[in-house]
Amino acid sequence: MKKILLVVLVVAMIASMMAGCAKKADLLATVGMVTDAGTINDKSFNQGTWEGIVKAAEEFGYEPKYLKPVGTTKADYLTEIGNLVDSGYKLIVCPGFKFETTIYEAQDKWPEVLFVLIDGTPHNDDYSDFKLGYNVAAVFFAEEQSGFLAGVAAAVELKTAEFGFIGGMEIPAVQKFNWGFQQGLAYANTNYGTSATIKAENVIYQGTFDDVAAGGAIAAQMYDKGVDCIFTAAGGVGVGAITEAKARAVNGENIWIVGVDVDQYPDGVYSGEKSVILTSAMKGIGTVAYDMVKAFHQNTFKGGVTLIFDASNDGIGIPAENPNLSSETESIAADVFGMLKDGTIVVSTVQGDLIK
Amino acid sequence: MKRDYTGIVKSLGAVFLGLLAGAILMIAIGANPLKGYFYLFQGGLKSIERIGNVFAIATTLILTGLSVAFAFRTGLFNIGAAGQMLIGGLCATVIGLSVELPRLVLLPVMFLAALIGGAVWGVIPGFLKARFNVHEVVATIMMNWIAYWVVYYTIRNYFTAGLETESASMPAAGQLRVSWLSQLLSGSYLNLGIVISILCVIVIKFILDRTTLGYELKAVGFNRHAAKYAGIKVNRSIILSMMIAGGLAGLAGLTYYTGYSVNIQIGILPSQGFDGIAVALLGATSPWGVFFSATFFGILHAGKGFMNANTSIPPQISDSIIAIIIYFTATSLFIEKLYKKLRGRRADRKQIKAGGDE
Amino acid sequence: MEYIVEMLNIRKEFPGVLANDNVTVQLKQGEILALLGENGAGKSTLMSILFGLYHMDRGSIRIRGENVTINNPNDANNLGIGMVHQHFQLVETFTVTENIIMGAEGRFLLDRKKAGEKIKALSVQYGLNIDPDEIIEDISVGMQQRVEILKMLYRNAEVLIFDEPTAVLTPQEVHELMQIMRNLITEGKSIILITHKLKEIKEIADRCTVIRRGRVIGTVDVKTTSQQQMATMMVGREISFTVDKEDRKAGDVVLSVQNLNVLNNRKTPALKDFSLDVRRGEIMGVAGVEGNGQTELVEAITGLRKVDSGRIEINGREISRYSVRGRNEAGIAHIPQDRQRLGLIMDYNLGENFVLKSYYHKPYSKYGILKKEAIDKHAEKLISDFDVRAGNGVKSPAKALSGGNQQKAILGREIDLDTDLLIAVQPTRGLDVGAIEYIHKRLIEQRDSGKAVLLVSLELDEIMDLSDRIAVINSGELIDLITNDSNIDENDIGLMMAGVKRGEQQ
Repeated sequence: MKKILLVVLVVAMIASMMAGCAKKADLLATVGMVTDAGTINDKSFNQGTWEGIVKAAEEFGYEPKYLKPVGTTKADYLTEIGNLVDSGYKLIVCPGFKFETTIYEAQDKWPEVLFVLIDGTPHNDDYSDFKLGYNVAAVFFAEEQSGFLAGVAAAVELKTAEFGFIGGMEIPAVQKFNWGFQQGLAYANTNYGTSATIKAENVIYQGTFDDVAAGGAIAAQMYDKGVDCIFTAAGGVGVGAITEAKARAVNGENIWIVGVDVDQYPDGVYSGEKSVILTSAMKGIGTVAYDMVKAFHQNTFKGGVTLIFDASNDGIGIPAENPNLSSETESIAADVFGMLKDGTIVVSTVQGDLIK
Repeated sequence: MKRDYTGIVKSLGAVFLGLLAGAILMIAIGANPLKGYFYLFQGGLKSIERIGNVFAIATTLILTGLSVAFAFRTGLFNIGAAGQMLIGGLCATVIGLSVELPRLVLLPVMFLAALIGGAVWGVIPGFLKARFNVHEVVATIMMNWIAYWVVYYTIRNYFTAGLETESASMPAAGQLRVSWLSQLLSGSYLNLGIVISILCVIVIKFILDRTTLGYELKAVGFNRHAAKYAGIKVNRSIILSMMIAGGLAGLAGLTYYTGYSVNIQIGILPSQGFDGIAVALLGATSPWGVFFSATFFGILHAGKGFMNANTSIPPQISDSIIAIIIYFTATSLFIEKLYKKLRGRRADRKQIKAGGDE
Repeated sequence: MEYIVEMLNIRKEFPGVLANDNVTVQLKQGEILALLGENGAGKSTLMSILFGLYHMDRGSIRIRGENVTINNPNDANNLGIGMVHQHFQLVETFTVTENIIMGAEGRFLLDRKKAGEKIKALSVQYGLNIDPDEIIEDISVGMQQRVEILKMLYRNAEVLIFDEPTAVLTPQEVHELMQIMRNLITEGKSIILITHKLKEIKEIADRCTVIRRGRVIGTVDVKTTSQQQMATMMVGREISFTVDKEDRKAGDVVLSVQNLNVLNNRKTPALKDFSLDVRRGEIMGVAGVEGNGQTELVEAITGLRKVDSGRIEINGREISRYSVRGRNEAGIAHIPQDRQRLGLIMDYNLGENFVLKSYYHKPYSKYGILKKEAIDKHAEKLISDFDVRAGNGVKSPAKALSGGNQQKAILGREIDLDTDLLIAVQPTRGLDVGAIEYIHKRLIEQRDSGKAVLLVSLELDEIMDLSDRIAVINSGELIDLITNDSNIDENDIGLMMAGVKRGEQQ
């Protein structure tokens, strides 16, 4: 016990020394974010959300702050939310399905704080109760539409090609990307006379979002087996696949990657100008984060709602510019996006007879 | 109590050095270290709830730290606490999710399952070391990954509910969390695990200090050749030591996955397994030392976010700061040992020349 | 200009210890000066000051009559002072030449050939018989020592300091070293010989300066001073050189080794069909040059090494398949060769070390729980019975003890086991005269009380002083078994140790 006593003593000492500077008024503590597993520079989910928050914060004069939990348990997430709340943060953005049970508790524990939950809806541990608090906005994306659009574009561009899919964990958002992509390939085959194929053995969920080396290894196997283009929805695992593709492209192999979440074209650049990224199945995470902060600033933030972002509200799509796509392909993609937007095309969100 | 305080003094010195190193890093990035540490410790200790959380975090670290420390006493480096912890947690989770028993029966059964699971995971590298002289560092790292995938496969295929990345949640009967304790500490995650941890500290201390088993294991750790000369079965000691170390880490898994958390995540090697190495080093591989150093790390982990939230120190840097404090703290003991060794050698030489008998 | 090196009124104090108190030592040109003293008397400190490893607190050093300051070994080298350390400072995987020129490479280019020629010339000049191209790890310890000597000569040393040079050598090698030292003197070098072996001083040195507890007791002319006188000066009291030992009739066979075959670490035969009996009431000495199977013999008997074939019996019971503990229980006590590596757990305290082989027995433990009181009581008894001197008594860690006290502790523990067989390997290695005398006395006591003692030693004197019978071992074979009586001839044994059997001697 002596040691604890000593620690307490030291703390008290420091505290008294700093009585003067302990007021935390020097920054406007308002908009915070707690990251999911992985770093802030994950080139997809965390990064996209954070960039949106930063953009809005700069515009509206807030000091944004993100915290990285020690682990990935509910206790770890709640600890960081508590840290933000105790430091005076009023709006907290939590990207990722893993925050569902966390927000379920947090929304009641801190009723005065507003939460944005991306890719999930709050529920308790055993799924017996779903409850969306009046202070929580739950945000979903139509990943299947995004995957569909990228699938059509890829198939039309490559015409005859063998495709593959590398997923991170087998979670709904990733699955929807996968199934949408497969439907997109089939749609192109039927309607644009392409011959895009994908084999069950080339649909793989690596199991993590951060095992870069494994991503490279899986991609290498697929390319060796004759796959021409891989769709990655796998965070860091996808980064590994992109690295492998670049190495092969430098050696003259004609292979491609379809990126995910954000426009990954710049990540695929090799020998100067060329990129292995054919196109990317994007999801407007940054836009949504920006919108939420903006709404908060304008006092129009509405809790207790589930927001769905899809083609109809431009929440998903492929990049505006795709240097690797021909203009015909781009125009077909634009047509398909229009049909998704007006509901002419409906993409299934369940597996059905698709692969995994 | 007759006691040698030099260990404590050394550890406190190491903590001080670690904090100093952290402070230098803070200054280097332009932050005010006094302010940083103010919020760091406030974050760990400013409320009953937060203090409870410090011990909730420490609970697991105490056990992984004990695991590493115990093996270390037998001269073995157990890098496998993470894997043993996973398997212990898996065994407890599987029992908790598939058997319906009254809590008073269920919890002891889960306790045993975690203990045995971890012990099995520890005994395999022990056996490989004893029988085939496979270095335990290599073997335990391999076992970590085997555990990782065993958990991945088992949970993914049989025990998920909703999310694919974690098991279904433990029903209340199988949780170490008890409402009165949480309420007492205004919502902290502190749970019965802390009782298990402290009991283990006491039991391990007893084994090491008071039993023939501890005598044998330490003898092997200090000097394998002399132990063999004395007729102690070195191989048996290695296997036994790894078994006990594994069991402790298995219990760490129990406290973490059914207490701190209420489900087991897949795709993650728990960092507590590796932090256990630092905990053990800072605790000078003594059981109570481990207890206090785990508590210190608990404060750091619990206060880190609060420091982040209130200062301009970005999270990556604060992770580095925590890591620097932890590893500087831990290694400064090594440095001290090294220094003493060098000095000792010189002193020996002096002694030989100046008045020794050798 | 009579003295080449003079160390005048040197004082050196370490915290708590006055290592050198007003010490004056003078070396004449072309002589061998022995520096005699017990371990810890202050000889090595003095030489370390001369070699620049320590700084003196007071006093002065003169070389050829001129005052000099020596701050580091380089200064010493430049003044022509070289030291042959007790522990060689050689790179095992380098050749002789490479080792010798290391640190004296010249500017940038390594002229190995020229260096090799110079080394060869020096080797011939001083009769060192060294091949400059051999790899260090391939040559014997004696040869390695010559490389150290060559290193000094290569650097043009005029004064050579030998620090306990014979501790690691076989009798033959000692003999050869003496010859080399004589050659060095003939060629005009001067030598300081640090030692506590009187016999060597008598054989080689011209004068002898005796140091006791940091002070010079006196400098004597070796020719006119007896060993007994020098010993008395060194220790401060009368020392008996002859071990008092009454004749005894040996009893039943305790240890019987029959046709033993054992492999060494390189998986080649270390013992070949080795047979030996040791009886109650006798000390069986095993004489041999290091590395001829003695270590393996002891390891095989005590269970530390696997037996390939053959039998080992204790009191008629075959034990060659027993565990180490099984053999201990069957009646073996063992004072091991390396007390720090095998004999003691240096981090355990004395109490814990005293029960190293008996902790699992009553009264030291019960139901697996250690009984500290009984352990401490036992330790206190052994500490007083065997005169083990330790600062904190029972609680002193073994590593805090001096070598002699460590050895007494082991001796006490093993004798206390009260087994029929006591194996003692190099029991007095590195100890000073007082401790040696004590340990010898206790070994004889064991013999007299009817125990069988197997004594393995590289010191032939020790074997001849203590043993009733002597087994000479060479290349893992028993060369001969000799009764140690007045007819015994040391030279014969020396030859046998070299592998020459009795019939083959002229």
